[in-house]
Amino acid sequence: MRSVYILFLSLILIVSFTFADSDYHENLILEPLTPALLLASFNFRSNASQPSFEQQHFQYIPRSLGQILQHANTKELHLRFSTGKWDAESWGARPWRGAKEGGTGVELWAWVEADSDEKAFANWITLNNALSGLFCASLNFIDSTRTTRPVMTFEPAGDHANSSLSTLHLLHGTLPREVVCTENLTPFLKLLPCKGKAGISTLLDGHKLFDASWQTMSIDVRPVCPAHGSECYIEMEQAVDMVLDIERSKRPRDNPIPRPVPHEELACDKSKPYADFDGCYPLDVSSDQSWSLSEVFGRPIRGSCLATDASHRATESVCLNVRHERDVWTSGGAIENKKASGQSRCFTLHETNLFEMNLPQQSTETIIRPEPPVYASRSFTGHGQERGGVQTLLTNPSTTLPIEFMYFETLPWFMKPYLHTLTARLSTVAIPDPSIIKSMYYRPALDRRRGTQLECLISVPPASTVVLTYDFDKAILRYTEYPPDANRGFDVAPAVIRILPPSGAESAATSEADFLRTTSLLLSLPTPDFSMPYNVIILTSTVMALAFGMVFNLLVRRFVGADEVEGYDLSKLRSKIGARIIALKDRLTRRR
Amino acid sequence: MPLDGLGYLKILAPPEKVLRWIEGKLNLLGRLPHYVSIDQKTYGRYGVLPTTSGPSLPGAEASLLLLRRDPRILKAPPYVSLLLILIGLTSLFLLPLDYYSRHTYISENALLPGQVHTYFGGSEQNIFNAYKHEVQAVAGKEQHEISNKLEEIFNSAGLKAARQKYQFEAAGNRYTGENVYSILHAPRGDATEAIVLIAAWTNMDGELNQSGCALVLTLARYFKRWSLWSKDIIILITSDSKAGPQAWADAYHNEHSVPAVEPLPMKSGALQGVVVVDNALNHRFESLHIVYDGINGQLPNLDLFNTATAIASGQMGISVVLQRMWKHGDSYRERLQTMLRGMVSQGLGHASGPHSCFIPYHVDAITLQAVGDGWQDEMAMGRCVESTFRSLNNLLEKFHQSFFFYLLMQANRFVSIGTYLPSAMLVAVNFSIMAIALWIRSGRSTVPTIGSKKKNEEKEPEMEVIRQDGMVAIAPKHRLVIVERELFLPITLVVASHFLGVIPLYIFNHASQSAFSRTFIIFAQANMLLPSFLAALLSYQSPLSTQQRLLLQCFSLLLLGMFLATLATLNFSLAFLIGLLAAPLSFVGQPYSTTSYENPASGGKVRKLLMTIVLQLLSPPAVMLAACKAWDVRVEDVLVEAAFGWTAHGLWTQVVVWCIWWPAWTVGSVVCSPLL
Repeated sequence: MRSVYILFLSLILIVSFTFADSDYHENLILEPLTPALLLASFNFRSNASQPSFEQQHFQYIPRSLGQILQHANTKELHLRFSTGKWDAESWGARPWRGAKEGGTGVELWAWVEADSDEKAFANWITLNNALSGLFCASLNFIDSTRTTRPVMTFEPAGDHANSSLSTLHLLHGTLPREVVCTENLTPFLKLLPCKGKAGISTLLDGHKLFDASWQTMSIDVRPVCPAHGSECYIEMEQAVDMVLDIERSKRPRDNPIPRPVPHEELACDKSKPYADFDGCYPLDVSSDQSWSLSEVFGRPIRGSCLATDASHRATESVCLNVRHERDVWTSGGAIENKKASGQSRCFTLHETNLFEMNLPQQSTETIIRPEPPVYASRSFTGHGQERGGVQTLLTNPSTTLPIEFMYFETLPWFMKPYLHTLTARLSTVAIPDPSIIKSMYYRPALDRRRGTQLECLISVPPASTVVLTYDFDKAILRYTEYPPDANRGFDVAPAVIRILPPSGAESAATSEADFLRTTSLLLSLPTPDFSMPYNVIILTSTVMALAFGMVFNLLVRRFVGADEVEGYDLSKLRSKIGARIIALKDRLTRRR
Repeated sequence: MPLDGLGYLKILAPPEKVLRWIEGKLNLLGRLPHYVSIDQKTYGRYGVLPTTSGPSLPGAEASLLLLRRDPRILKAPPYVSLLLILIGLTSLFLLPLDYYSRHTYISENALLPGQVHTYFGGSEQNIFNAYKHEVQAVAGKEQHEISNKLEEIFNSAGLKAARQKYQFEAAGNRYTGENVYSILHAPRGDATEAIVLIAAWTNMDGELNQSGCALVLTLARYFKRWSLWSKDIIILITSDSKAGPQAWADAYHNEHSVPAVEPLPMKSGALQGVVVVDNALNHRFESLHIVYDGINGQLPNLDLFNTATAIASGQMGISVVLQRMWKHGDSYRERLQTMLRGMVSQGLGHASGPHSCFIPYHVDAITLQAVGDGWQDEMAMGRCVESTFRSLNNLLEKFHQSFFFYLLMQANRFVSIGTYLPSAMLVAVNFSIMAIALWIRSGRSTVPTIGSKKKNEEKEPEMEVIRQDGMVAIAPKHRLVIVERELFLPITLVVASHFLGVIPLYIFNHASQSAFSRTFIIFAQANMLLPSFLAALLSYQSPLSTQQRLLLQCFSLLLLGMFLATLATLNFSLAFLIGLLAAPLSFVGQPYSTTSYENPASGGKVRKLLMTIVLQLLSPPAVMLAACKAWDVRVEDVLVEAAFGWTAHGLWTQVVVWCIWWPAWTVGSVVCSPLL
């Protein structure tokens, strides 16, 4: 199983190495996960040499993003938009080993160059605000309470000069509540050289992408310095991964309702004794379903990106991971190249023709997906509005090797964990095992200023499950701190797990660490009945308005007798003033 | 000026020093130079009287002061108590009237019940039939065969299934089973929220829930095709209606008892709503019976009930019944009957369906039960569930808009807590009033009677002039006599009686089923003799003084009033029912009849006997026996149910009965025992 996986990876590596000389390259890998699900991984990579980037000579790296990075002194950027849940039990290992995905919502981490922490944070805020505008996401809400500085979990993916490492600051922020949708896809597509008009990016349609069962968009910008002395360049990689339900995607857009099928179309198990009467025990869908690109994505691929560019070479930009026995019909003059592994074939697209791929219904053995290195599930325990607990189950499926990983969790400040209750035990025994947590970095929360940061180095013995638990108290918020939908609860960001390579492995492998993330959690806090203060406010305001209106009216209005209106008598006024003066004089004399 | 028979309230007053300080700061006494204190002990805080006109008191104030000592006022509390009870009871009976009850309405706008087309039907009927055949085929077989079959059906629908074994032990019985469930992940969700669809393999009456289980399995397959779910849908099939759902709900929140209940292998996010499908019929049904009571009388949000009702009756045209009122003509009688049934069910606090176990976890849940013989088929029920789930799916926040405290008297009429709470509170307050009256009474050395007052008119009562802190007061001499209250014995006795309640609580929750009927009969008999025995024991060496007796009853009633008032806010029905059953306790003893005071031993023997009989008839075991007779259930079954509820559900009706009601009853019976 693992060999298949390695083969798959090496394939990607070969593909990427072969075309590293080109400044832009794109690639789509289609892979059926189960007979009913299709994983589509889009990858777009643009390069720019370091000097041209610094001189703001942008060709494939978009100017909008490049200038933001320069303005915010950001040397390395990782931005993730994700929705849905990767069902590791049925789908196996994650695409790109989890390196190109984030937790639910938006996740951003970056290495920012600055002399001090304060300056780094200021740069970070600048970066967030700029990216927020660029991607139509609420990234500007990543403030100090949502920002952490991970110590052990993340490592720079780019090649940074050793001298600059001391001035690089890693900042990490998440928005678990952010709903990723088409308004984030459109700016994402605009960053591509072909902007979704040609090449594989034509398949990225918001309707299909956001109907996927799981979907993630990522942007990584990092400096790369090849080992053999050639000059450094900036690499920007955009990736979109999605898991499509073939049956659901095939539904026509004008009639997407999954009505019950007509009686005669039901596939029934005729062996059942009641099959002849009224019952129909439905048969499993075991054979591969038929699908084509335009059925699943709503349209075929339109030409190839940058095909007319003189410096560009045609590459194999679409790969399909199915067995060679599987019938695949293509149109549009693409060149097919079956890989030696027997489980993959790639296509070089024609410059302008529409590329269509069609897989008829056929029962073949599906390729067994590699198993993920670790299964993680996190949930709340207990109930009530006062306190609760978090329980994380971490399972090592390997029967032979123990596994070590960093477990990184950020909690909002209103969730106050008790570190003394943090225990890790094997699921089979009740007593906590102190040897499971090897080391730990903990940064406690400050009310309304920063959240809790917890990083643990955890080791799980082979074929066993570790239960990590801790208890927490729920804080009571000020009533203005509640969001409009206070009773929904508060999202707690997913935990990030970085699997460390086995201790015996070479250090070169560190950059290719496996990542995975748990699901986010919904924390319900004690919530006041908001109708109460609002009723009071509304009622008081009404009374105030009425009272104020009346009093103001009385104060401002001058009441004049009906007989006094016509013609103002000057002599009267004079005598009045005279009387006043006399009274004043009297008073003065009396005081004397 | 306070009209003060209220001197006894001083126990509630803030500390002396604080008051003195406030007085000093505000210079209260300086501001009212013509008022001086008459009460040496309290410096006039509880009653000031003008002394400007010397010993003879001016008209109005004098009459008020006299009123304060008027025995007629001191005689009033029992009548006030009785009046409160009657008002409480009457106001309860007014509730079904149109003027007091309200039409139900959907408070949460997001729900939009019945606003979607439902598509469940057509060829789904064939699949349903097949699943029903499958369910019938494994009915009555071993648990693992049933679980295998269910898992197979889940898997064929493309859903992963998981199992959970559980075991509860109560009253020597063992309740075992296995829950099978599956999680249908929301296509774009992140497992943060979930809604649960449940069918119990056997329903509350122990019948095979054949159509319900088949329907849930068909719906699971049907729901899988939709991509619009914003929340995970958990499809759970429990092997029974009481233990299984409880085990699952406990384990979901990690509050299960290990290792009797297994942890759940798969979990989703926060549960937002639960719908239980119960259709044991093998034919078409007439109406939907919606069951909504939770454990300990907690209720689901009224919005959930309203949504289900609106969808069933409004969208599907299925009539909705509740509280087993199969025919409801919307008359006063029927409304009242529905409400009272609801109150009894709430008061008992037991699980009324698989949904009950979720409500203590603040997960709103209801059971939809198909009843009667009519023309509605299972597909209609399925569409009902589908539409309800579409509404739940719309929820952005958890249920919070509508009422959690209500009494339903028809599918579309309810009264909210603000309207019904006063009746239980009035009943509870009657005990407090009597307790206060007894407290005053116990502090009086003598009681001025109407007769003696007339005599006193001829000679002026003896007065005494008090001078203190530059103030002068004049007061009748007998007012200055301070009676010391002997608190130790009464408090000890009352506290002990409440702790004594732990004994029956323990016995009835831990005895085995076989011993229940015998234990109960022995207990009931012992309970009859207990007051006399205790009374004899108390007066064995020296009889209790009148004051001690008054205080004994006072503390007992005070506690009862406090407990019931608190309980009324949590479980209205239980507080109200116990309040009514304990009402005679307010009237035992008769502290205000001069005869019984002056000669407690001789007077009112007949009365005491009468009270004893009344109390014996209203003792907790007697009430329980009578209720069992009335509903035609065996006492043993009730006790088994209660013991199971105690172990599995965390039922505290027993605690209320044995540690609040029974001690109050015991003390009341001892006080009115002729032997004391």
